[in-house]
Amino acid sequence: MSTVIGDSILISGNLEGDEDLTIRGRVEGSIRLTRTLIVEASGIVKADVTVKDAVISGVVVGNVTASDSVQLTAEGRMVGDISAPRVIIVDGASFRGRVDMGDLESDRASAERPAQKAAARPVQKAPPPRPPARPPVRDGDERRIGQNVAVNQSAGAPARPPSPPAAPPLPPILAGAKRRVLVKKGKR
Amino acid sequence: MANTVIGSSIVIDGEISGGEDLVIQGTVKGKISLKESLIVAQSGVVEADIATQNIEVAGQVTGNIAASDRVELKSDCRVVGDIKAPRILIADGASFKGNVDMEVGKGR
Repeated sequence: MSTVIGDSILISGNLEGDEDLTIRGRVEGSIRLTRTLIVEASGIVKADVTVKDAVISGVVVGNVTASDSVQLTAEGRMVGDISAPRVIIVDGASFRGRVDMGDLESDRASAERPAQKAAARPVQKAPPPRPPARPPVRDGDERRIGQNVAVNQSAGAPARPPSPPAAPPLPPILAGAKRRVLVKKGKR
Repeated sequence: MANTVIGSSIVIDGEISGGEDLVIQGTVKGKISLKESLIVAQSGVVEADIATQNIEVAGQVTGNIAASDRVELKSDCRVVGDIKAPRILIADGASFKGNVDMEVGKGR
């Protein structure tokens, strides 16, 4: 049985664990999990979060660090910084903060991904060095990056919509940054 | 099934409050205040002062328990602390150390 924090529950303090956690109520403080955190639409989290995967449909205020992925769904609202190798922001989500996907090549090569997936992936050349000290990404930019970069995707994640056929060329400032922010359009 | 479950590998250090049933299979330290029932499962470890309506303990509780209705200590539970409630049940096999206050003349 996994852990559920119900609608009317408020936890303030530190929460740690090795299993999936679903939050429908409120948690303030810190959360550390080795598995998946799910913040449902009624859930409110004001905490620094360290998890493997996070799926956010409710409200999160705080920094989220994930060793695998962070997904903001259409109902998700978040203020804070995201640090994860895979970040998915769906159309309709609201987000303010920074996104850090780390050094992509070294993250991909590390043991976080299954070996056969890594082998199936075509070898990519190392990207040119990123321009230093880029200003923090704003909400609007986030979507733009997502649309442009979606064309470059290789077969990494299974549940990805087909790439849009005609995407405009990368603006010069983004040419070096192969970021994997996806924007899924037209969910409803 | 109760709405809220704290699973067996979860450790919470802090305060929990709410208006629904809570099942604790993991570890909670700090303070718990609930308007409904609290169930400390066999694998549950609670080091906290507890204020609730009903509580059922099959695991370990260290701390004072105040219930507005009922406290039930099941067999194999281990409880250290004071209990205050109008109805208190202690099953055969339960281990308990502390004071009991049933507020005689009130709540019956």
